[in-house]
Amino acid sequence: MSSNRKTAASRLERKNYKWIYLFLLPSFIVFVTFYIQPIFTVFYTSFTKWDGFNKPKFIGLTNYINMFGNTAFRYSLKNLLLWSFIAAVFHVGFGVLVAFAIFKKPFGWKFTRAVFMIPNVISAAAWAMIYRFMFHDDMGMINNIIRKFNPDFHVQWFYQSPFAFIAVTLTWLFYAVIVTLIVLNDLFAIPGDLFEAARVDGASDFQLIKYIQLPLCKNAIGTSIIASITARVAMYEQIALTTAGGPGDDTMNLPVILVKSIMDLKYGYANANGVIMFILGLFILWLVNRLFKMDESVY
Amino acid sequence: MKLKKLLKSGLALGLCFGLAACSSGSKGAGTDAGSEQAKTENAESSQEKKAETDGKEIELKIPTYLAGENVGAVFFLPQVERFNEKYAGKYKVVVEEVVQDSYAEKIKQLAGQNKLPTLVHSPGSGGIDTQWFKQVILDNDMAYDLTEFGKENPDVAASWIEGSKDFCTVDGKLICNPLIVLRPIGLYYNESLYKPEKDIRDMSMDEFMSGLGENKLAFMTSENAWTSSLMLAALIANEDGGVDLLNNNTSEKLWDYNTPVIVNAVGKLQKLLQNNASSNTVGAAYADAANAFMSNNAALICNGSWMASEFNEDAKDKWSNGFDGKDVKTTIYPGNIALANPKAYGDFWISNAASDEQKEAAKAFLAFRSSKEEIEAFILAEGGNAPNIKHSDDFLNKLKENDILYQLDQSMNENTKFVATLGDIFPASVADTEFGKLLPKLIDNSLTPEQFCAELTKKAQEAKQ
Repeated sequence: MSSNRKTAASRLERKNYKWIYLFLLPSFIVFVTFYIQPIFTVFYTSFTKWDGFNKPKFIGLTNYINMFGNTAFRYSLKNLLLWSFIAAVFHVGFGVLVAFAIFKKPFGWKFTRAVFMIPNVISAAAWAMIYRFMFHDDMGMINNIIRKFNPDFHVQWFYQSPFAFIAVTLTWLFYAVIVTLIVLNDLFAIPGDLFEAARVDGASDFQLIKYIQLPLCKNAIGTSIIASITARVAMYEQIALTTAGGPGDDTMNLPVILVKSIMDLKYGYANANGVIMFILGLFILWLVNRLFKMDESVY
Repeated sequence: MKLKKLLKSGLALGLCFGLAACSSGSKGAGTDAGSEQAKTENAESSQEKKAETDGKEIELKIPTYLAGENVGAVFFLPQVERFNEKYAGKYKVVVEEVVQDSYAEKIKQLAGQNKLPTLVHSPGSGGIDTQWFKQVILDNDMAYDLTEFGKENPDVAASWIEGSKDFCTVDGKLICNPLIVLRPIGLYYNESLYKPEKDIRDMSMDEFMSGLGENKLAFMTSENAWTSSLMLAALIANEDGGVDLLNNNTSEKLWDYNTPVIVNAVGKLQKLLQNNASSNTVGAAYADAANAFMSNNAALICNGSWMASEFNEDAKDKWSNGFDGKDVKTTIYPGNIALANPKAYGDFWISNAASDEQKEAAKAFLAFRSSKEEIEAFILAEGGNAPNIKHSDDFLNKLKENDILYQLDQSMNENTKFVATLGDIFPASVADTEFGKLLPKLIDNSLTPEQFCAELTKKAQEAKQ
């Protein structure tokens, strides 16, 4: 009987296969055309000398060897490491903190959530320009406030070592609304019974956070960390429109090198840079998945 | 339930239509520029057929950044109108406005699709770099040979600047319409703040620097650090061997800056940046530098003749802090140096892939632009010097009416040395970003002039790899 049912189900499945594949086809075409093909081109041309127009010439690992010998690239990796740490700890930490605060639904929490969302609807490029004015030595808000206490204070935030790194970091550090929304979503999904049971057992607010809310938001926090760090790998506007990677190479990162290489008609080199960004993205995904055990259910 | 079903059906239909719309949209898309160009080509080919069949006018579409808000539009668009009026019924130029920052990218994409417009701005203008032009256009024989055009228009050919003509001749082919007008870049100073003891042109660089006193120059470090790079070019030109160094490296570019000539010049630039730079120099973009000058916060600014219109009464809204355009004087750099590179690719080139009718119209437009009347009109509007054109008294009288342009014209004499700018000799990324990025480190003494040159050399070598 059960065997018959199984056969019937399989037949039904087989009958539906053509529809399943038909509906999958557009996504598959989009995936191959816009993802696989460009990724393949990036990988292939990273081993070539290519000006973007003439036929690429195979040069083996030369682009990669040159890249690792390049001071700007080494600065970029160092900066990425630091920014990743800051993103994972402070940026995500701040977003989580706001999510927990809003979850308590204090007075004006909806308003706070809406205000917190505003920076996200302004483009990164516009923010970069706003920050250029905010950090301007003569007319910028920051220095003028500091000068109220220290009249001799003069710092060119975006153009002076080591302040440029700090200034660039501040252009994104506190805009963690995505983190807040992801975590808040998980917080609201926690069944009320768990809190009630814990309360009956005499759990304090801190214990509720430590033993119920944080563990149950583990995957949301992990996802936020992945999103935040990969955003640092791909961060371009905030740097290009403020420091352009300077002063010197103080705020250099991989996308800025990539664009600069294209300016010099070094498409092969630029794509080698792209491959490194791709590998870094996958590595971050793997690492955070492992650290947060994100493939395991939290309930 | 019914509402749910209705909603589901609606969403499914929406998805289907969305996919259908996307797929049909992407059929001819490739890129927006590509589809636009395809449309242009279709329009052009239909126009050509029409012209062939009924002898009507040929329409030539020119994508250009000399339109809209661009300062060059003030002269270029009326010039197109004059051309259309003169050749009504035969040729018609239609301008397609492209933002200057996007122009080079658009041309590069169209070249990749072999869909170049008939007339293209020459490298050195519109963001098109010479390296790309050589590697892509010249190596693939995509530029039309204008040698015959020169023979058919002897007056035009006689006006071409010899250095530019030689530079534009590659493997015996004339690949660009050579320069007729040189627009030397000098400097402007505000006489209400700074009165030089004698004409700056006749000073040595040391005299000029010591005579500045507390006066400030409007320098910049952001974007391509344009005003700062102009001063460095003038400083290099004032060093022994500097003129040759600048003028002999325009073709192959300069990749090593660890030479005494450049190190000394950078040392002097460092002094100027530390002692005589306007307070907003670090981080200043071009607009900031211009603003420093037009608000009496800087007494001098290095820039080209196109800035002259900013000092006319009708640009008064840009002035502040008591600045008056009437106080502005102009001259060239100490040591009788003017920045102008005759070894350049001229104004336009014609795509080899264009049809004969399109090439004919393009050549007619180039000949029109290069006529004496148009060249003189251009000089009156934007300044410059056409060494191979004998001007009429009427023209000279009109030039005198524009005080600043006349001053600049008169500041040059037979001993003036014309030199290339840094943009002409540095590789693209060094000229456009690396130079400006390193300047703050020169200003705060993080780098000595020697270290600055070494760092810049390293960047150039990396760009070369």
